[in-house]
Amino acid sequence: MELKMSNLTKKFRDMTAVRNVSYTMTAGVYGLLGINGAGKTTLMRMLCTLLKPTGGSITWDGEDIFEMDGEYRKILGYLPQDFGYYPDFTVYDYLMYIASIKGVRPAAARQQIKILLDQVGMKKAAKRKMKKLSGGMKRRVGIAQAMLGDPKILILDEPTAGLDPNERIRFRNLISELAGERLVLFSTHIVSDIEYIANEILLMQGGEIKASGTAEELLSAMPEEVWSLEVEKKEIERYLRNYKVSNVKTIPGGAVLRLISSERPNSRAVREEATLEDLFLDYFGERAGENDDEI
Amino acid sequence: MMRYEVKKVFSRTSSKIAMLVLFLVMGVTCCFALDISYVDEEGNTQRGLDAVSKLKAAQKKWAGELDEEKISQVIAENRRIRNSPEALAQDITQNEIAYSRGQGIKEIRELLNCAYAKGFREYDYYRADSLTEEMAADFYKNRTALLKEWLEGEAKDQFSDKEKQYLIERYESLKTPFYYDYMAGWVQLFEFAPTIVMISMLILCYLVSGVFSNEFAWKSDAVFFSSEYGRNRAVLAKIKAGLCIVTAVYFAIFFVYTGIMLLYLGADGWNLQVQSSMAGWKYFYHITNLKKYLVIGAGGYIGCLFLSFLSMLVSARTKSTVMAMIAPVMVLFLPSFVGNIKSPVVNKILGLLPDQLLQAGNALNFFNLYSIGGKIVGEIPVIIVLYAVLTAALLPVLYRTYQKAV
Repeated sequence: MELKMSNLTKKFRDMTAVRNVSYTMTAGVYGLLGINGAGKTTLMRMLCTLLKPTGGSITWDGEDIFEMDGEYRKILGYLPQDFGYYPDFTVYDYLMYIASIKGVRPAAARQQIKILLDQVGMKKAAKRKMKKLSGGMKRRVGIAQAMLGDPKILILDEPTAGLDPNERIRFRNLISELAGERLVLFSTHIVSDIEYIANEILLMQGGEIKASGTAEELLSAMPEEVWSLEVEKKEIERYLRNYKVSNVKTIPGGAVLRLISSERPNSRAVREEATLEDLFLDYFGERAGENDDEI
Repeated sequence: MMRYEVKKVFSRTSSKIAMLVLFLVMGVTCCFALDISYVDEEGNTQRGLDAVSKLKAAQKKWAGELDEEKISQVIAENRRIRNSPEALAQDITQNEIAYSRGQGIKEIRELLNCAYAKGFREYDYYRADSLTEEMAADFYKNRTALLKEWLEGEAKDQFSDKEKQYLIERYESLKTPFYYDYMAGWVQLFEFAPTIVMISMLILCYLVSGVFSNEFAWKSDAVFFSSEYGRNRAVLAKIKAGLCIVTAVYFAIFFVYTGIMLLYLGADGWNLQVQSSMAGWKYFYHITNLKKYLVIGAGGYIGCLFLSFLSMLVSARTKSTVMAMIAPVMVLFLPSFVGNIKSPVVNKILGLLPDQLLQAGNALNFFNLYSIGGKIVGEIPVIIVLYAVLTAALLPVLYRTYQKAV
């Protein structure tokens, strides 16, 4: 079980969305972390055969996925960022239809749908029309459809975007539960999603994979250090301007800043243990957000 | 798979409304088509089933071969009625009484107006009143004579010599005398069939216009194309669904319409030559009413199928349901833009447009001829074969277009 990208590039006219990405994935949960426009969605759409690369290749166990055609898609489950559905279908009909285009026989589909609806907590809503579901419920149906046919590869594009904190936690747990022996790749720009469930993290920026590894590996390889520093109110602005500040905690008369710097910013600064939030800021120059990806 | 594709179409509220509109229009059309009246001996106008059966009985009295003797009798009967005191009276009720006596020969009287017209394209409602029994012998001869006169005069530049010869041969080879019988069911059915076919086509194009493009509108294309069958069988299922929808809806409407018309007005006259009614008098096709019905049905179906697939192709290519709905309408209105250009070549081209299929009954009346392999052929067989082939040719194009969509 090996999904390999070699010098993968995708250009849209003058803009290069994915640039020379080479990476190999096997079974496990991979978190693709990056800000808006980093190229996460383009990369995932290529992995789902929805976009053809401008250069490079993607192979599954040594075979080109575009040449494998239906054989590759047979082992693929995909939840797009902008998950579309048939508004007048019931949840059950929708899943039965997706099962049919995934080549799952009706009898097997009925069994799988029953189990999946139970797993995603949608059993009671099976007869409800898709258009009547809340955002979180739709995402759960989205996960269920991606799981139909028991795919070996599960690609989830921003699966937690737009969900409230409770739903997000639920969703994270669900992904962990469903991962099993699969290769799961999910993208997000929410650090906490990655932190809890990804075995391996890929940091993507400007169409390139800037770094990859486990959270510990990435944190230990972080080129800069994290400091906490108590400053007076009038000094806050100066520090914000001159340092990468991952957190500002207001206290009477000032604030406690969490700074990222290769040098101790002040003799009063105390060295702290780095987190993925700090890593995100260090790599991307901005804090992890909630906005949806566009590219 | 195909079942769900059909379900996608009919689960939309707008599709349900479209189907309702289709059946409503058919209902209203039937109301107009079934509005047959009969005037009784007192001059009162009757409507409904009773009127239909009385009219049928009156016309059945004159059923039989339209030979010289029968024509002569009709001419005499018509003159007797027209010269009766009731017909000459100034009182409208008296006139209606006179009219009631002529209902049995009404259709034959119309044939007399056509056969003894001053020109091939002339029509005079009162022409039959000026005929004498001696003229009955010319009834069938006149049909061909008027055609010849027209071909040598007004239409001399419209046809080649070979085409003229073909038309004359068709007219001369028509088996005479015609058999006359009551056939109001078919006449009315034919008259309103284009309305039924046209509205069916519009609704069908609307129904199938979103089969491909809605995947993009609903943003469900990513899941669709990333599935195992998303680039092959699922695309085929969409095409099959389109075919099933067009076939099922078209024939449901067409057969319901036929059923209503013929159950109410009767199917008598199914085996009569179309030339034995005024509408078919000039046809050069040797067909019966039943064959004309089959031509209308088949032509309408192929036309609807072609335009629906065209709509689906635009839907797959442009990913726009609106464009997919507009495209077939544009094709239909094309003749309106060039309709004023009077030229044999333009007429031949217009005769090949798909709108002709939707009104195949009317197109039977057109003298559009084509030379294929040295043989002269009328418009109807050409367009039926042409669009059957074009429709079949659209299928692989449609499949490949959507299969490669990104």
